[in-house]
Amino acid sequence: MNSTVMKKSLYLFAVPALIFYLTLWIFPILRLFQYSITDYNGYLQNFNYIGLDNYASLFQGELLGVALKNTLIYTIVSVGLSIVLGLGLAMLLNLKLKGKGVYRSLAYIPTLFSAIVVGFLWSYVYMPDYGMIATFLDKIGINADLNFLGSYSSALYAIIFVEIWKNVGTTMIIFLAALQTVPNELLEAGKIDGCGPWRLFAKIKLPLLATAMTINVTLSIINGLKAFDYPFIMTNGGPGTATNTLIYAIYKMAFTEQLFGKASALGVISFGVIIIITAICVTLMNKREVSA
Amino acid sequence: MKRMKLLSMAALVFVMLVVSACGNNANNAGSGNSGGSGQSGSNEGEKDITITMMVSGNRASEGEDFEMDVLPRLVKEKFPNITLEVQKLPDDQYNTSIRTKLAAGQGPDIFTVFPKNSTSGVNDFAKANFLADLSDLTFWDKIAQGAKDDMSYDGKTYAVTKGSSYLGTYYNKEMLESVGVTEFPKDWTSFLELCQKLADAGITPIVMGDKDPWVIQFGMYQIAANVVYPGEMDFDEKLQRGENALTDERWVSAIEKYGELYKKGYVVKNSLGIGSAQANQLFIDGQAAMIFTGTWDAPSLTSQGAADFTRGFDSLPGNNAGDPVYVSAATSAGYGVNAKSKYVNEVKAILNFWFDGESELFKSFNDHNTDISVYEGVELNNELFATLHENYSTTGNSVYFSNQMWPSGVSDVMQAKFAEIIGGRGISGADVAKAMYDKFKELWKN
Repeated sequence: MNSTVMKKSLYLFAVPALIFYLTLWIFPILRLFQYSITDYNGYLQNFNYIGLDNYASLFQGELLGVALKNTLIYTIVSVGLSIVLGLGLAMLLNLKLKGKGVYRSLAYIPTLFSAIVVGFLWSYVYMPDYGMIATFLDKIGINADLNFLGSYSSALYAIIFVEIWKNVGTTMIIFLAALQTVPNELLEAGKIDGCGPWRLFAKIKLPLLATAMTINVTLSIINGLKAFDYPFIMTNGGPGTATNTLIYAIYKMAFTEQLFGKASALGVISFGVIIIITAICVTLMNKREVSA
Repeated sequence: MKRMKLLSMAALVFVMLVVSACGNNANNAGSGNSGGSGQSGSNEGEKDITITMMVSGNRASEGEDFEMDVLPRLVKEKFPNITLEVQKLPDDQYNTSIRTKLAAGQGPDIFTVFPKNSTSGVNDFAKANFLADLSDLTFWDKIAQGAKDDMSYDGKTYAVTKGSSYLGTYYNKEMLESVGVTEFPKDWTSFLELCQKLADAGITPIVMGDKDPWVIQFGMYQIAANVVYPGEMDFDEKLQRGENALTDERWVSAIEKYGELYKKGYVVKNSLGIGSAQANQLFIDGQAAMIFTGTWDAPSLTSQGAADFTRGFDSLPGNNAGDPVYVSAATSAGYGVNAKSKYVNEVKAILNFWFDGESELFKSFNDHNTDISVYEGVELNNELFATLHENYSTTGNSVYFSNQMWPSGVSDVMQAKFAEIIGGRGISGADVAKAMYDKFKELWKN
């Protein structure tokens, strides 16, 4: 058999994987675009094509704006804080401490729980008057009227905090792993040249952590833009629409209001938003990466 | 060249997929038809079959669960060749899952169906041809006509309801007595007076878990039953025909009445931060005097909490003094049969046996049922509901839950907007009503 035929026949081996990829990934995505221009309700197959009406009604209604705003706040705050906290924790647990392994495990434990468990626990921690925080403050004599999840101004930040609490372990582990790869020679050279701890961090460690930073920021951004678990478990998107995120809005629209078509349109819009934001961030950060 | 080949291969795969999907549909339709026609009830010697059942709800917290444990066992005793496989999911997951399964042609043989226009309601499912016609079951003359009608669409009956449920106010009798109230109020003014007395005595009058926004419906529909519907029981039919609007002043007034309870501080502060299970717990712990919810919550609200007290249950009176109190009562969910099931006749045989009025299965069903039975001759099995039940059965003054006549989605908007009133965001009852009506117009298609 000559090598050209051989090379061509090798493509056949890709067919099974290609079939899976097309049926389970590409085909549903294409259907999403198709449904977004119909009035499909999720089960009646005789739907009508209604052009861009779904998009028009989304852009005219207030839901898209509210959900987009909530999602962006969710993303920016959770990315910012989890990077700062994750990096801080990683630096701390990279020191020569006694029982370092125990602390590392403790910091990672919240990541191991499912979102359902975490959301359920935290809704009791946050409960007004009778919850853990309220009881604790009451015990030490502070009578604060706290209503974390029930107040329009704090609900979103309260669930963002839970998201960070749960995910900071993952961010930390990635930074910690990257810290191990910072060559000692560079640090020693820095010390000899008279760098203090801050300059060692800012001029040597941080630039060398750029790859880990890209990974962490990208993962956190995607995680934030896809926020669904905690609004669903802890607040049902409420109070009112205060914690209604894009993905939660899609879920409600598709499964409660039975507007699959309109929900698909919102899905397409979210898809665009997520891709654009992620692409910009990754491109910007890739430019800043250096290697040792 | 290579690219061409790859593309043509992808195209080929795509065509194969489409063709095979069509083939599947054809097969399903075929087997559905054959299943529907030739089969008779299950006789001895017939081959073993497995019937699948999917219901909504939570498994009983203690003892045997009727649907998951008792039903399969008693069906097996009567029909040895039939194995019943039951899956039970909480309401939200159920609603998501059942529609996806039915749309994909993978639905269970028996499944929970809700009345009228509710989510997973009989109207939607019947329109989509998912439900088998059950008009020929043998026991329909024993079931209250209204309950049968609520499970019918276009003259055919599609599901057997478990009973009916009431919305009401659970109250702590001792707390009410401590402020000198021995009889539950019968009109709105006296209800407000009761709340004021309780508040003055340092007792939280009402606890609601508004963090789970659906509980907002529990108070709202009781008030609507007394404000919107008396004098125009066909309000919603007219609404559907476009002759009425949810912005009607009666709806605005109902919303504002309910909002009054929050504005005057009668509902526990920070209710938007408390979940429904937490609110139930606060009630049984004796931290508040009243809670609005339905008969289905009786097991949790009568369980032992931190305080010992006597429970009462009555309608939240939204009416003016001198007018009768209307009960908020509705047909509960029930059991429907998949139109595409291979075993429609076997399932019908099971249902005929189940609701025959005398079998052990029927008795066990009534013992476990938390709904009020609508079956002829079955006594009320929970004394707590006696007062409200008597009003319902002697006067006939009752209104269904409003959302049963709305497309699902309208009640969500009502909850989200009303939460803004609770949160003191400066919107009025008219704003809530307008948002509800806008959503209604968007979703109502007939």
